[in-house]
Amino acid sequence: MSMTTWNAMSGAARRFSPRLLLSELMMKQWFEPVIPFLVMIGLALYFAATIPDYASVANSVSLLRLFAEFGFVALAMAVCLISGGIDLSVGAIFAIGNFAALFFLLVLGWPTWAVIAATLAVGGVLGAFNGFLIGYLKARPFLTTLVTLIILRAAVNLLNGAYATVFATNSPDSAVWDFLGEGSVLGIPINAATLFAVLLVGHLFLSRSRYGWHLTAIGASRKAARHAGIRVRLILFAAYVLSGILCAAGGIFYAARQASTDSTTGVGWEFQALTAVVLGGVSLAGGKGTVWRAMIGAIIVFMLTNGLVRMGIPGYITSAVIGVILLAAVGIDVKWTKNRGKAVQKTYVNPAAMPLAPAPSVAAASGTPFAQNDRLIHAEAIGVDQVEGPEDVILDRQDRLYGSTRDGNIIRFSGLRFERREVFAHIGGRPLGMQFDKDENLIVCVAGMGVYGVKPDGEVFKVTDETNRTWYKLNDDSRLRMADDLDIGPDGKIYFSDCTTRYEMTTNTLDILEGRPNGRLVVYDPATRRTRTLINHFYFPNGICVAHDGRSVLIASTSLCKIFRHWLEGPRKGQTEVLIDELPGNPDNINRASNGDYWLALVGIRTPTFDLATRKPGFRLRMIKQVPTDEWLAPGLNHGCILRFTEAGEVLESWWDPTGISHSTLTSMREHKGYVYLGGLENNRIGRIKVDGADPAWTGYEAYWGAGRRDGR
Amino acid sequence: MGVFDHLISDIRQILFPNAEQDAVPSMDGAFSPNDRLDACEQLGPPLPGADDIAVAADGTLYVSAGRDVIRLAGPAHGERSVVASFDGAAGGLAVHPDGRLLVCVAGRGLAAVHGGAGGAPQVQWLEAADGRPLHGLTGVTAGPDGRIFATVGSSRHPAERWLHDLMEKGRSGYLVGCDADLGAASILLDGLAFPGGVAVAPDKQSLWFTESWSHRVLKAPLAASSRLGPVDVVMRNLPGYPARLAPDGEGGLLLALVGVRTHLIEFVLREDDYRREMMANIPEAYWIGPALGGSHDCLEPMQIGSVKALGIQKPWAPPRSYGLLARIDTDGEVIESWHSRAGGHVHGVTAACETPAGVIVVSKGNGRLVIAREKSL
Repeated sequence: MSMTTWNAMSGAARRFSPRLLLSELMMKQWFEPVIPFLVMIGLALYFAATIPDYASVANSVSLLRLFAEFGFVALAMAVCLISGGIDLSVGAIFAIGNFAALFFLLVLGWPTWAVIAATLAVGGVLGAFNGFLIGYLKARPFLTTLVTLIILRAAVNLLNGAYATVFATNSPDSAVWDFLGEGSVLGIPINAATLFAVLLVGHLFLSRSRYGWHLTAIGASRKAARHAGIRVRLILFAAYVLSGILCAAGGIFYAARQASTDSTTGVGWEFQALTAVVLGGVSLAGGKGTVWRAMIGAIIVFMLTNGLVRMGIPGYITSAVIGVILLAAVGIDVKWTKNRGKAVQKTYVNPAAMPLAPAPSVAAASGTPFAQNDRLIHAEAIGVDQVEGPEDVILDRQDRLYGSTRDGNIIRFSGLRFERREVFAHIGGRPLGMQFDKDENLIVCVAGMGVYGVKPDGEVFKVTDETNRTWYKLNDDSRLRMADDLDIGPDGKIYFSDCTTRYEMTTNTLDILEGRPNGRLVVYDPATRRTRTLINHFYFPNGICVAHDGRSVLIASTSLCKIFRHWLEGPRKGQTEVLIDELPGNPDNINRASNGDYWLALVGIRTPTFDLATRKPGFRLRMIKQVPTDEWLAPGLNHGCILRFTEAGEVLESWWDPTGISHSTLTSMREHKGYVYLGGLENNRIGRIKVDGADPAWTGYEAYWGAGRRDGR
Repeated sequence: MGVFDHLISDIRQILFPNAEQDAVPSMDGAFSPNDRLDACEQLGPPLPGADDIAVAADGTLYVSAGRDVIRLAGPAHGERSVVASFDGAAGGLAVHPDGRLLVCVAGRGLAAVHGGAGGAPQVQWLEAADGRPLHGLTGVTAGPDGRIFATVGSSRHPAERWLHDLMEKGRSGYLVGCDADLGAASILLDGLAFPGGVAVAPDKQSLWFTESWSHRVLKAPLAASSRLGPVDVVMRNLPGYPARLAPDGEGGLLLALVGVRTHLIEFVLREDDYRREMMANIPEAYWIGPALGGSHDCLEPMQIGSVKALGIQKPWAPPRSYGLLARIDTDGEVIESWHSRAGGHVHGVTAACETPAGVIVVSKGNGRLVIAREKSL
């Protein structure tokens, strides 16, 4: 057997797939505003190219000054949308705020700080009116705020008529007020700077504070939020108060900048703001959105209105354009919200061609070490119908037999004929590979949970459930998805396989069908209590066995049908090489044999049709889409066998149950005192066969921690 | 078949959802799965290669198995004797109203066997119709006026290579008619998707036949002339591959379905390049396709739902082989059905016939005859 170093895992095999990238991007929350963001940049570039001096600093600053007030109004709208409602009165409250500020300043002659406080209070009171109706009286937000819009708009027009001349003839004599209108902070207009500060606070409020989460939760599902104990009415009330205050703040800056009021102030802003926030990606259905998305949308709408006016396009056309954009944005919003999960689901699985080696013959007359026989058919059955799928089996120093079952238990059989059954420990998840450490703790890989330990008295403790995250991966792979099998080195380090980072125990078939190196080899060091990934990107690593001399670890790749050796020490330290290249089936667990060889379970046998499918990724992709799960093609999982191979990777002989009656989905075997014990992922028993030539005194514990050690320590 | 072809097929499916083929129908109503076939009593010892069955006017049963035609006589049909042996496999069987036994012999043609009770049987052959050979005969029947009708499954493959024909989406079968003396043989219908069986309706007015690969049962009125009347589809989009038909004694017909359609097989039939490579490089026994009976070879294709759970093969697992017999009325409505599901032992039902004791079912997949004594209605 040639010992070629295996490089394909890290580089070439990790084939780039645009579909895969897209599906992982679509799962990311932050990816959603990417399109509006690109539109925003595109618009800016377009206007910069077509309008002279558009990109100049002076123009940008003046645009910012013009924009900021609209930004406040859009933010107010966003808060209401996120709460699951809508506030159509934002434009009217903005206009009232504008009027109130001028009124307090010019008619009542109040100082600036009092003007600001009083105006914000006016906004707050108007918002409270909306909030009371919507939050406490459960009025429909749309109608309620439509009515407030009409009333407030009429009020503004009346008041404007009464005070227009007063405002026109008086001028404020306050430096602070002028600063509000024309001042700058670090070159940024004061209103834009304030907006930015408010956005920062708003972002922290929405994404980091309890009340922000409550608000989002109510928007997502009012009923669920109420059941979760959130004070729905109060929070909704507060949301509309906040909306009113934000509008009033916009009104103050507008008043300070324009120092006048007329009947067109803030007219139609509710629809512009609505267009803006929906365009930015704040969902109309509620419960989804950030302040930044609202701002991206607001900037797009503002730039469009402003830019089109400067290009000499009549205002009604601009309105029509905005209307069309609103229509499109709402349509896309509805479709996207509804179908995003489906889109991810449809693109998540991305099969790739698998570099499988030829399969040796298993025909009974083939003369290969893999030739089928019936040596397992008459295996002695232990605990028939008393264990549900013992994926792995192991024996302790007291000759008691343990099986990791699908109900989250470790079942223990004891007695001379293993007649006594007990639940040794309940871990939960799906316990898979097991091994005893030096202190006789049973260390267990648990799919969906991580690596756990069970003390001899049955107490369960966590060993590890996360490893270092791969910095360049979009999918967060820090959690252990499906810890599968483990072994323990002479220094106590726990080597285990995490067979997939893209799927779960229930969907791991998809990983096999995808045929990408999604798994990894992870090591936990009990001395430092640190977990780190030793080999990233491995084709479904399954069985793990530390070599007899403790200098390397053997890894079974189930989907690639190969056995690898990864060197822990010596001149080839850190390198991975192929130990067995051609296997007729899908290897599962590997364990030590008493004579210095190794045992290997083949859980499935490669079928010619499945092998053909591995060469055809498109076929597998369409199969996943068009054929129901139960009818997908699989390797021959009912016809397992176990093999014995040497340190050099030479397979010596095999044990079969060609009927699959006693031992189907054969995943593990463990030698103990002259017998080999058999476990199966979906089987209803543990099997036992007597093996000729096996050392009748040999036990796993002694071989790892006792007198039987071969690592020279 | 490149990406482009798949794109076009996707578009075609959206534009014409019913054009190419129908979805595999779920087995419900009268087709609801049951275990009635497995519960049936086995009739005598196993009969490897059993293919078709016919009943003579005196109640004697004839069964074709391997190269022989076997007579089942005596009480409970317990006495077996070989009536005739051929060089090729004996398939479709029928008893002519004049007492001759009509046998479809693979690789040769239609044999009409006279007497044979005392001396050696005399055999008369029909080996061609309109200049085309009759190597792949699948079924035969005789009309009330003595005219003989036979079906040829495929003109490209012999009958035992039916899976090749399915995988090539063969439509090269034909229906042959000839006089009672085997003269004036002509092809009545051509271009059929593997006609698997033929029978005269109980009212003697029409000729019924099946098209296995298009999952249909068709009928044509028996005209006085040598031609057939216009062909009508009686049953379409069946859940399995229909084979032979026989009168059920109550005015309807027994329809044997040799296997059931699965989503995976239908999918492979759409995947041209995969199928082509499979046929070129993989032995036929390991193809994705229907089988008559499971051989439990570990190299056969396996599907997720077939994985044994806690030592049990789920009966509702996607079947590679299946046993299915239906009783239908002359409108093509299913009255009742007998099933042998995944893990059962009466698979690959190729024929059935009505006797006073019950319906005798031929399971070619498991090489046995069983007798269903009870009908539901």
